[in-house]
Amino acid sequence: MLSIILKDIGVITGVSGILAILLVIAERWLNNYGDCKINVNDKRELTVRGGSSLLNSLSEAQVFLPSACGGRGSCGACKCKVLEGGGPVLPTEKPFLSEAELADHVRLSCQVKVKSDVSIVIPESIFNIREFKSVVTEIIDYTYDIKGFTFELEPGETIDFQAGQYVQLISEPYAKVKQGVTRAYSISSKPDTNNAIQLIIRLVPEGICSTWAHTQLKVGDKVRFTGPYGDFYLRDTDADILFVAGGSGKAPIKSMLEHLAVTGTNRKMTYFFGARTPKDLYLTEEMESFEKVFDDFAYVPVLSHAEPSDNWKGKTGFVMPFFKDAIRDPKNTEAYLCGSPGMIGAVTKSLTELGVPKEKIYFDSFG
Amino acid sequence: MKPTGKELKTMQRMQPGVQTLSGFLGDDTRPLNEIIQDDSVVLDKLGRSREEIAKRMESLTQASWDSYLEGILVEGKYQVQTEVYRGRMPCPFGHPGIYRKAVTTLTNQENGITVVWTSLSMHMIGAHGFFEGRGSAYRLEPETLIKALFD
Amino acid sequence: MEISAFLLFWAAIFTSNILLTNFLGMCSYLSVSKEVESSLGLGIAVSFVLVFTTALNWLAYHYLLVPFHIEYLQYIVFIIVIAAFVQLLELLIERFTPALYYSLGIFLPLITVNCAIFGVSLFMVIRNYNFLQSIAYGFGSGLGWLLAILMLAGLRGKLREKMVPAGLRGTGISLIITGIMALAFVGFSGIAPIQ
Repeated sequence: MLSIILKDIGVITGVSGILAILLVIAERWLNNYGDCKINVNDKRELTVRGGSSLLNSLSEAQVFLPSACGGRGSCGACKCKVLEGGGPVLPTEKPFLSEAELADHVRLSCQVKVKSDVSIVIPESIFNIREFKSVVTEIIDYTYDIKGFTFELEPGETIDFQAGQYVQLISEPYAKVKQGVTRAYSISSKPDTNNAIQLIIRLVPEGICSTWAHTQLKVGDKVRFTGPYGDFYLRDTDADILFVAGGSGKAPIKSMLEHLAVTGTNRKMTYFFGARTPKDLYLTEEMESFEKVFDDFAYVPVLSHAEPSDNWKGKTGFVMPFFKDAIRDPKNTEAYLCGSPGMIGAVTKSLTELGVPKEKIYFDSFG
Repeated sequence: MKPTGKELKTMQRMQPGVQTLSGFLGDDTRPLNEIIQDDSVVLDKLGRSREEIAKRMESLTQASWDSYLEGILVEGKYQVQTEVYRGRMPCPFGHPGIYRKAVTTLTNQENGITVVWTSLSMHMIGAHGFFEGRGSAYRLEPETLIKALFD
Repeated sequence: MEISAFLLFWAAIFTSNILLTNFLGMCSYLSVSKEVESSLGLGIAVSFVLVFTTALNWLAYHYLLVPFHIEYLQYIVFIIVIAAFVQLLELLIERFTPALYYSLGIFLPLITVNCAIFGVSLFMVIRNYNFLQSIAYGFGSGLGWLLAILMLAGLRGKLREKMVPAGLRGTGISLIITGIMALAFVGFSGIAPIQ
């Protein structure tokens, strides 16, 4: 009896044990890709642990390709040219790659797994994007749903950006939120101050990052972000400027104006701030002070829903009807717009009707 | 029916704190396919398809697109206003594509019903028949939504 | 068992379909048959696993269990072999054909708990098939299972817009359809005796 029991146990244990060992060996051998070299632009060589996606391997090596969906294969923002070592194109990549891109070896870096040495080509500007560690040094309540946060970098660290660019803020777990997310915010401080940045953050309903910033952050907290990103920046010409931005869209405009105050300019500038009620106005003193700093700058807040009880003495309605008076030579006027796609569409239409060339209308769209 | 692995992954992405603060399932204890199934029964009863509803929502959102500060009165009785926040979000169902963060508020002035939807919830209704779990921030009861959109 | 492997192969697909005649492998069949594409993927994966695990289990039975007179351990040993094989297959596919891995996705580990796979190995023992017959039976059963799930998926697709009584939606109507299909397949019974 005992020998039968022992024989049974022996066989089962033996079979399970052998198969388990086989599986462990197989996994070690199959999943171990060793160290892999990533050749970037034929200029830099990064050594990373194989097995992760190209996007993650690069970001661990401090090279940050843009991503709007966190590497899930949903947004198509992380494209890069993979000349060698990318393996076959996966079905998850195909929806985002055109025939021309496929022929050009463009891949979705979040889907490409680094299993061997890889050779890639990325735009030079990516090298300027880094991860920064910072500390909260100031929190300002601008309106009922907008706060300004100043983040100071570690001593000795500097960030090199153009006025109008944005960063990706990394939120930390809190309350029911178990993991951080990254969200984009325009830099509202001037690039001339390169050891700290300010972000203007609006509390978005159901927003993980803005709720974290508004309810959790205190002065002294550590915060990480990556950047700078974006191609919304001031063109260095002497054309007249029309700024149009409401709500949190004021951030990049503030950065541009503060920067111009440092470099000096005699361009004619007008900033139209469209909002609903006086409750939505903020940084009015700073904008009005620019009217004294610059030779020819006008700050024009326009409210669409001011009540008589608000005692609003300024302009009312939409901003578009007031453009005409601010434009002296439409062909020599640039426009910088920041806001919702609806606003940008409506304002662009109005400006082109007034003769402003479409190529001179630059915008940073929320959607 | 027991959720498949794909559904479980989708439900994980719908948990609070993963994509939005309170997630897409609210305090609903039913599995995803059951939520969709139960709502589709209501749709069948009222004779409206998910595509029809989504198309109507899209056309109303589009009408309010340019009036970004104020909202607009469509067809004489639908007050629609859309607000857009920066950034885009993927669909928790896990397929390619990211959706803008536009929040549309519609008030049917005739029956007084107000509903709120987002670009993502519009897509989830049209493509997946998903009206979000009971108790979630943007849950739309199919019956209320249909009354607001079509009556 | 005196039947040619070739005939056994065809019999396993049509006249003794593992799902429609023996009603094995119902869980993943019912839940995955919502879409035709995933049904195809799962069916192919199940066929693949069936061929190899039937062969491996035949070897395990005849060269390990029988010599030691521990045939009663077949239940445990077969399950262990199936689970290990599916796991190994997943690793191999992920490494060497990542495109296929992405298409099959979650279905690969789901196969381990498919009772059709276990059932086929047990039938092979009960009916005393030789090695070639076992492989033919395994492959045929896989294709038979694939056939059944594809049929249900196609039918369910057509049913989506129709007025099915509320209580029967989903599982209820699927089981009724499966029963009707099984009735149709009963017409095949006796054509090719495989046991």
